[in-house]
Amino acid sequence: MDFRGILDRLKTARVPGLLGADEPRDPNPADKKDKGRRGDPFVWVEPRELPAFLERCRDDERLRFELLVDLSAVDPSKDDPNLWIVVQLLSLAHRHRLTVKCTLPKAEARLPSSVPVYRAAQWHERECGEMFGITFEGHPDPRNILLPEDWVGHPLRKDYVFPDEYHGISCK
Amino acid sequence: MSTPLHTEPDRAARQGEREFLLDVRTQDMEVNMGPQHPATHGVMRILVRADGEVCTGAQPHLGYLHRCAEKIGENVEWLQYLPYTDRYDYLAAMNNNLGYSMAVEKLMGIEIPRRALMIRTICAELNRIGSHLIAFGTYGLDIGAFTPFLYMFREREWMMALFEKICGARLTYSYIRIGGVFNDAPPGWLSEVERFCDVFEEKWQEYVDLLMVNHIFVQRTANIGVIPPAMALDFGLTGPMLRGSGIDFDLRRDMPYELYAEIWKAGAFQIPLGKGERGQLGDCWDRSYVRVMEMIESIKIVRWCLGAIEPGPVIADIPKTLRVPNGEAYVGIENPRGELGHYVVSDGGKVAIRCRVRGPSFTNLAVLEELMPGALIADAIAIIGSTDIVVGETDR
Amino acid sequence: MGLLERQFEENVLTTKVDWLLNWCRLSSIWPMTFGLACCAIEMMAVGCAHHDIDRFGAGAFRASPRQADLMIVAGTVNFKMAERIKRLYDQMPAPKYVIAMGACATGGGPYYKYGYTVVKGVDRVVPVDVYVAGCPPRPEALLEGLMKLQEKIQQSSVIRRPARTA
Repeated sequence: MDFRGILDRLKTARVPGLLGADEPRDPNPADKKDKGRRGDPFVWVEPRELPAFLERCRDDERLRFELLVDLSAVDPSKDDPNLWIVVQLLSLAHRHRLTVKCTLPKAEARLPSSVPVYRAAQWHERECGEMFGITFEGHPDPRNILLPEDWVGHPLRKDYVFPDEYHGISCK
Repeated sequence: MSTPLHTEPDRAARQGEREFLLDVRTQDMEVNMGPQHPATHGVMRILVRADGEVCTGAQPHLGYLHRCAEKIGENVEWLQYLPYTDRYDYLAAMNNNLGYSMAVEKLMGIEIPRRALMIRTICAELNRIGSHLIAFGTYGLDIGAFTPFLYMFREREWMMALFEKICGARLTYSYIRIGGVFNDAPPGWLSEVERFCDVFEEKWQEYVDLLMVNHIFVQRTANIGVIPPAMALDFGLTGPMLRGSGIDFDLRRDMPYELYAEIWKAGAFQIPLGKGERGQLGDCWDRSYVRVMEMIESIKIVRWCLGAIEPGPVIADIPKTLRVPNGEAYVGIENPRGELGHYVVSDGGKVAIRCRVRGPSFTNLAVLEELMPGALIADAIAIIGSTDIVVGETDR
Repeated sequence: MGLLERQFEENVLTTKVDWLLNWCRLSSIWPMTFGLACCAIEMMAVGCAHHDIDRFGAGAFRASPRQADLMIVAGTVNFKMAERIKRLYDQMPAPKYVIAMGACATGGGPYYKYGYTVVKGVDRVVPVDVYVAGCPPRPEALLEGLMKLQEKIQQSSVIRRPARTA
């Protein structure tokens, strides 16, 4: 199915948490500031409902997203008070993809963990957590995965300050 | 926990009894495999809890090669990021370049010249062969067979010489660029690729006879590390890990990109699947089998491209300082290890806002926590080798 | 060797003995399997038949640091790994040598500027004898680095007292 078909199915099946959709559009000639948007369409989902949404995407007959391909986050800019969570889903049976996004406030970046739905999320959420400072509630093992255990700061945030030294080795 | 040897010495001394060890219980031993270890395919550490020779728990620890690729993507320009893409899965650098270039090209909406698409496909498939050769050779090395490793490097040296002729580098190419490829193939390159294909087909038969059907290899890999299809889907496995469990899905055929739709329609290649020939479906032998068969299918794709290639431009007209239009795109391609995904977010500037890399080895490695408990330590080595990970990609 | 080390004055006999000891050492440098990243693949290529490091006597790659003479740091060193590298270096028995292979081990490589976890050169962690440049260096470059190390070993004085500078 194409994106419109998936969106219709999400609406008719009343999948919880769906807030809206965003599709690529050309720039508005009347507005000079509007750059338009290229690339992939995606759906916006309420962060607290993300596991429930993913579960319905996985189990619904017409959607059948068996594979969680990616779960990551984006810090759009220093001035933006929100982070995005981006989930990529893939259906092997129907051969379609879906991009799911949520917004989280940077000051309190918490949302329920999707590990009960897709086991693949376990390590992706650990990485997200250490890189952006997002807490996934209910995650079985929220340790750092790529960074050392005592690393200070969340590197992929836009306001991250590079360290000067670590355990006696200079970073300069 | 073992009980103390002497409970009450006074009591024993009073009553004149001899102390006996009433409770002989051994403790599970926690052993570190790595980060420096000959069989972990790079710097990866697995904390193994072992009861004698049987593994009772395994916990992979990553991050020993974390090179901050995603942070670098947010700080360097679009084209400057290309050499970093080579370095995550350094065994299949062409495929990495391809994935990143395709993601940026999707945002830019440019059309790639046909000759560039042909050369890209040839390079990506040759690199797939090179990557599977290493997977196969080092797997034999882990199991204890040294000869296939040396034989495989013979073909790999030839492949690297071919790549050196076309782009100057042996391992990290930065050849497939945004808009096409860096430069055209030098005269004589295509006929040399054809000669490589001819010779490789004979040598491939040698590999199958030497290792794949070898009685010892089969005994060490069949019925080991069985991944049932449901577990494969739950863990998000892709690539030969998925196809080894019998799930028929390959991005080149099912969600085709570049020229693969055309090549599939021409019936040029098949998708090998694990069938449980030598043991259970989804065991280590099946995954090795898928990789070995994929090498021959890649040769067929290269031959098709050699037959259909025509002269023409090799790069689209893109400006020197690239400003990618506002938007975001995800492109997933079939890397030798699975689905390599690049998710790029742009706000119209010279530098990406986010360059997320979804490495297949990172996702594929998580399954070790489930597979290793219950296996002997020697089988644990076989299981790790069959996941075919590259630590540059797990850690990025 | 410990009892005899640096005990004798420089003369014809000790020079010849030293030459022999150095020749023994440089002809059988056994590296440790210490490939970290992409340079490891080129190190494997050096070990294989086409470039053949075995003709230099250095073909026996030992997995355990306690049996190795040479640590070829092939690849990027990051902070998590740096502590382990120090530990492995300490576990190697003397005489031990280190070759920093590749741009990352030499000075941080392409990850110099924005790599927050990358150590800018393995010489911040262990003393390095030879630096081999390249990203990754060609196998021939690594062999040249090994030959440079052999020249360095040839200059060392084992039983001779080192010459005093006035």
